[in-house]
Amino acid sequence: MAEKDTKSLKSILQKPVKLECKDLYEYLKTRSADVLERLYDYPTICLAVYRELPEIARQFVIRILFVEQPVPQAVIASWSSQIYVKEHTAATAILGDLGVWRSAAIPGGLPAWELSATFKRNLKIALLGGGRPWTMVNVLDTDSKARDIAFLDNYAMSRWRCVLHYMVGGATKGPDGETISPDAVRILLNANLMKRDENDGGPVITRQGFQFLLLDTQAQVWHFMLQYLDTCEQRGMSLPECLSMMFQLSFSTLGRDYSSEGLSNTLLSFLQHLREFGLVYQRKRKAGRFYPTRLALNITNKNSVAISDDDTQHDKGHIVVETNYRVYAYTDSSLQVALLGLFTELLYRFPNLVVGVLTRDSVRQALRGGITADQIISYLEQHAHPNMLLHEHSIKSKSPLPPTVVDQIKLWENERNRFTFTEGVAYNQFLSQSDFITLRDYAQSINVLIWQNERNRTMVVTKNGHDDVKKFWKRYQKGGS
Amino acid sequence: METEARTVDNKEKECSLLVIVLDTNPSQQIIRRDSHHVTQILDSICAFSNAHLMQRPQNKLAVLDCHHHGTEFLYPTPGRPLDIRQVDGQYEVFTLVEKTIKQKLAQIISDAPKMSGPCESLLAGSIAMALSYITRLERNRPLGTRINARILVVTGSNECASQYMTYMNVFFTAQKQNIVLDVCALDKSLTLLQQGCDITGGQYLRLPQLEGLLQYLLWVFLPDPETRLKLVLPPPVKVDYRAACFCHRELIDIGYVCSVCFTVFKSPPPIAGKPKKKKVRQM
Repeated sequence: MAEKDTKSLKSILQKPVKLECKDLYEYLKTRSADVLERLYDYPTICLAVYRELPEIARQFVIRILFVEQPVPQAVIASWSSQIYVKEHTAATAILGDLGVWRSAAIPGGLPAWELSATFKRNLKIALLGGGRPWTMVNVLDTDSKARDIAFLDNYAMSRWRCVLHYMVGGATKGPDGETISPDAVRILLNANLMKRDENDGGPVITRQGFQFLLLDTQAQVWHFMLQYLDTCEQRGMSLPECLSMMFQLSFSTLGRDYSSEGLSNTLLSFLQHLREFGLVYQRKRKAGRFYPTRLALNITNKNSVAISDDDTQHDKGHIVVETNYRVYAYTDSSLQVALLGLFTELLYRFPNLVVGVLTRDSVRQALRGGITADQIISYLEQHAHPNMLLHEHSIKSKSPLPPTVVDQIKLWENERNRFTFTEGVAYNQFLSQSDFITLRDYAQSINVLIWQNERNRTMVVTKNGHDDVKKFWKRYQKGGS
Repeated sequence: METEARTVDNKEKECSLLVIVLDTNPSQQIIRRDSHHVTQILDSICAFSNAHLMQRPQNKLAVLDCHHHGTEFLYPTPGRPLDIRQVDGQYEVFTLVEKTIKQKLAQIISDAPKMSGPCESLLAGSIAMALSYITRLERNRPLGTRINARILVVTGSNECASQYMTYMNVFFTAQKQNIVLDVCALDKSLTLLQQGCDITGGQYLRLPQLEGLLQYLLWVFLPDPETRLKLVLPPPVKVDYRAACFCHRELIDIGYVCSVCFTVFKSPPPIAGKPKKKKVRQM
């Protein structure tokens, strides 16, 4: 009986592991200064890093980009207004962390900042010209079998869905009969998105895997590529080369072919991997050209909304959420159905439609699995059916979902936060009131008292303070009575 | 906490649109003094435009050229964009912007009709064209995104009070649409455009020397209006708000205002052809 209690208590206390999605800045912070120097030798990486900086930091960098000598820190501090001092310090810290600028001394003894020479040179090249062209832009004759953007989009999404299907379906084949390579499986296992099942040794999805599936496609691709880059050193590929290639792809133009001549062997195998995940399209392995797809573009930018004159809506939404908590999904893909089943209770399934309902139990079950209310809401928003955007309430507000449903999901999440847990040690069964009062006052004075009840003569002390209180009690007993 | 997350989210989804109105009227003093200044100004503008595009992938750019016979778009040009491949380490989009601007400007200059004498730059019209472009983009934007637009006028022309009415129209329209108007005066001080900056909340700068154009542009005009609050920029100049009279287009201190239609006159106008009631009001 007692065992079951402690087990259930432990499961409440242990928070489920959340999926950690790093952005570019966090990823680069973990690299050593040496690696960063090598990375900044590529104009693409400098450009990508520049775009990741916070607003004020970008202004500082562009101002001193054309200045040769180090600039005193006091001068830079005078550039931001007094009210925003906190942002200023945060910006300078980030620039230092990324190795974009370094401390230098100028004659006169004032501390100064100086842009890293490689970074400065390569950022200027990316902005103004000069230097060598990036690796993949040798002159090409026109492709006889050119592919248009719609084809590339289809290709990219079908390849990426294979990966996602694999995560959900395990070792079963995807809808087109395709499965993914052992390399990709290894990456998934490494990233803790899947784990080896104890019973049959086959890979099975983990909680983080479910959270991964609920992210939007761009975030998924970025997270996956970060995991891939973590393993690339082990394969013998140089990290700066691969990272630079990835950024070159992200800065390319959609629908245009690029040459794969002159790429080193490691980069060619990297290209093949990207082809498998759907980031580039190549007609044949030996073809001298490839097309970057939409997945590769703006890979580091999680929120790029393309306000272009051509609005090609790839991946129309298919979910309708009603104010009576019913969810209708016009899809027949088992992946989408599995994802919906994570947090809704599925009621009916038709050839082209799945009906579910958001109940307290279904949402709580998802919350227990580590999925947050925000993830559920953003998943529903992303895949909202175009008709939902025509409703009155969504024109006024930004979200296409009914506000009642959104609020209720958040309330269900907050219900789980009614308790705060602190571990402690309980003292009770005091013989006399005065003993209790002395001990309680002592615990209060060293700030370890959590709770006390004078009537019952019970008090709770933090775990760390327990030793001190015990020692005091022993001394008091010896000394007093 | 939720509102914080939302504001960060919204900032990412915002697109910052910069429309540059470049005055290339050959009658300008700086161009007549030394025609190489045009190349210098053009290079600085290209570098500045690319710096703006470099800030965020969502940023957009348009460049208009105000010539003596009309206004044309330098970037983006109608029709298909040029097919540009990289020739050096510059990012493709930046190379495209530079090449398009330079090619189109060369075409405009070579196609321009001959000038009989020095003539004014039609800047007010160019600003109106810029406003129409911004409105069209706003109308076509995808749901849930916001466009922050601003217009930068780079000019070396003198003050032209003959365009007073058009200027005022354009300034108040920009103010209504929340479009910020910045002005970079290369040569003389421009009081009318100063008024425009003051009305819309933009920056006015008169360059002390032409050589530092790029640096001044990057320092003062690159940050968008929200970021400008966080930085220390040149303080606003005291603006000369004198109105121009409608008959002679002269700036006046004291004048006559019709109480019906508020037209401003330097001296009492003839009764015929004008509204009957007149009131003298000191300015």
